Amino acid sequence: MRPGHGSKTPALNDICLHPGEPLFLQTMASFDASGIATSGGVRFLGQRQSYWRLLIRGAALLMVTLGIYRFWLVTDIRRFLWSNTEIAGEALEYSGTALELLLGFLIAIALLIPIYTAFFLAALDLALLGQLSGLIAFAALAVLGQYAIYRARRYRLTRTVYRGLRFHQKGSAWAYAFRAVAWWIVTVVTFGLAYPFQLASLERYKMKNTFYGDLAGRFEASGFVLLLRGLPMWLLFFAPLALAVRDFVGLDWQALLDALAQGGDDVMGKIEGGNPGLGSVVVFAMLMAGISITLGALLYPAFQTLILRWWSSGLRFDDLQVRSRLLMRHVYGAYARFVGYAGLFAVAMTIAGTAALLLTDALAGSDASGQIATTLVLLIGYVITVLGISTIYRATVLFSLWQLGMESLQLSGVSALEKVKASGRPSSAFGEGLADALNVGSY
Amino acid sequence: MNSGTGIYFDGVTSVRREAVVELTPAALKISGPNGHLWGEWPYNEIEELAAPDSMLRLGRRGSPTLERLEIRDPAFAKEIDVLAIHVDRTGLLQRRQRMRVIGWTFAATASLVLVGWFGLPAIAARLATVLPASVERKLGDAVDIQVRGMLDTGKGGAPFECGTAAAETAGRAALDKLMRRLEAAATLPIPLRTSVARRDEANAIALPGGHIYVFRGLIDKADNADQIAGAIAHEIGHVANRDGTKAILEGAGLSFLFGMLLGDFIGGGAVVLAAKNVLQSSYSREAEAAADTYGTELMNKAGGDGRALAVILEKTGGATEPGMKILMDHPETKARITSINRLAAARPSVPFLEAGEWAALKQICAGS
Repeated sequence: MRPGHGSKTPALNDICLHPGEPLFLQTMASFDASGIATSGGVRFLGQRQSYWRLLIRGAALLMVTLGIYRFWLVTDIRRFLWSNTEIAGEALEYSGTALELLLGFLIAIALLIPIYTAFFLAALDLALLGQLSGLIAFAALAVLGQYAIYRARRYRLTRTVYRGLRFHQKGSAWAYAFRAVAWWIVTVVTFGLAYPFQLASLERYKMKNTFYGDLAGRFEASGFVLLLRGLPMWLLFFAPLALAVRDFVGLDWQALLDALAQGGDDVMGKIEGGNPGLGSVVVFAMLMAGISITLGALLYPAFQTLILRWWSSGLRFDDLQVRSRLLMRHVYGAYARFVGYAGLFAVAMTIAGTAALLLTDALAGSDASGQIATTLVLLIGYVITVLGISTIYRATVLFSLWQLGMESLQLSGVSALEKVKASGRPSSAFGEGLADALNVGSY
Repeated sequence: MNSGTGIYFDGVTSVRREAVVELTPAALKISGPNGHLWGEWPYNEIEELAAPDSMLRLGRRGSPTLERLEIRDPAFAKEIDVLAIHVDRTGLLQRRQRMRVIGWTFAATASLVLVGWFGLPAIAARLATVLPASVERKLGDAVDIQVRGMLDTGKGGAPFECGTAAAETAGRAALDKLMRRLEAAATLPIPLRTSVARRDEANAIALPGGHIYVFRGLIDKADNADQIAGAIAHEIGHVANRDGTKAILEGAGLSFLFGMLLGDFIGGGAVVLAAKNVLQSSYSREAEAAADTYGTELMNKAGGDGRALAVILEKTGGATEPGMKILMDHPETKARITSINRLAAARPSVPFLEAGEWAALKQICAGS
């Protein structure tokens, strides 16, 4: 289990279907699509209370086992979510086990040790290789991370059973990895404007290789439509930044660079002399960045809703079609709950942490052992805080997204599911292990 | 009640079948409404699978397909629970298994912490001693780039290393003389490189591979050349004990152990860093004590004043300048001073430098 970027600040990725994507969303949709009944019913039966219990117990065990318990916690979480998701009167089943995950992780570690050792040795080389080793390592791990994501998806799909048949996934994980990394580069270069097309392209690849038994999936949502719908948000986010950049362009760069190159004690004074307006430009830029970040945070749930709705509605299994009616205000409600609980928790942790530090100070004194004791208190406080926030995030935002995402689905053409034949074999958990070791995993 | 109803999926197609389930003494029989037998599962082959609370979902162990039987009547589910060994709706079986898992993960955690505390330093110490000098040298060069990046602020345009400008060469010569005497006494297998760095802190550091930096602040603080020689002798102790190399290997091992093996489960490297600090400060305490012993004995051997190290330590060990503590990492100064003075030879010593040479060394960073 890995809150990853999601835990503290739900990063952009966390909702979209990409590197940090909660793969569960994507897997989830693969199931929604398999919904039955002509009425198109998808129900979620899970009780939030039971989920809280499961997560809190898991967080406590994670802490005392330094994280080793995560394989069992992830398995419990998936069993809970899958089992309580009922499509046309039949509940999904997660058939994976924690031991499979542990084994997959150990195999991944065995593979990564030589790779990491090679990077370590290459970094010692003073020649070109050493200079480039950081870059090479970053590129290699980026590709490997995407590879792991695709293989992990395969594991989850083959451990998903519905009506006595499993899902499976074909396709090449390497092909996916290179495609994904190439798309990421394009998206970054275009300031995110290519992102809708990236999502659509990668999702097409995933879904055309996804099968429920012998029923082939596909993805039909258009990146262009998403671009049009998301453009207002993109503009709102980037407009303040563009204003700030415009002012920077207007500066006297020659004078600025000269001042920096000269150095000396009075750098600031010289910079000020060459560009009298610099101070106000910097202040304005910071203000605009602040506005941009605030807008981004406020719009994020809307963005998430938009993507989730667009993406669910693009899922197909043969004649089966999916339509999502996810409501934005429900998603905002989930975030409001998260902010409320997290705020309360932060206050409690601040009080408890201060008390613990004062107590340590009084008991241990200021010598070396006192320093170690203080470090330990801070360390434990940090772990509890981050685990706590991550648990709250899971129990509020992620739980609600699953529940709302599922219950907002409408299926049509469900008769396609009546005559499916078994196909596909269970895959190993190597991909999950690799994703875990590379910190790109999720549940 | 020996029979009930259920939903059966044969694992070959997705067809949902209403089934009649019969509990015979040896096995559970699944048949269609017309009496056609779909399956006969011995009780010891029946397993319970993940399902919502309202339902008992059964599968057959070792079956090549994913055939499933779903029972929704609680009373009938209970009867099956009694007969099938591996089915336990009370959750007792599962709880017991889970407790075992928790027990094992505790054991694994304890063993990993022990490996971190005792195993890694031992492995690093072994590895560091068998590492060829050429590799250590390379390691030192790589570290040197990092260290310079951190310490060399490039202020005032003077080179980071003192002793190159015309006004500084006499100081450099004095330092070389001091080093010759120390190196002759130390008889290390690798040559040392000593430089004075343009930094205000009173400190000295040794890199893997025999590169020693003495900070200008230390020379400013010292009363005589023997105190500088004592500090350098301490750093030579780090070189001889290969402490720099050990620290790097330990750091790599700890990063691996806490970062990757245990999983970055809360999404922050901060825990890893903090754990490393705690563990590494315990490593370095021992390393400092060993370097003190080495340094004092080296001073004795070279005929210098062994107590000089204690004096310079006392002058600087209080870590007065902010930021120095990070570099010094020299805790429990009092205890160290006592043990140095105990080891130092009581006989009269020969000063490392003449008064003129010492004055020149004081000016080693004067040019610029």
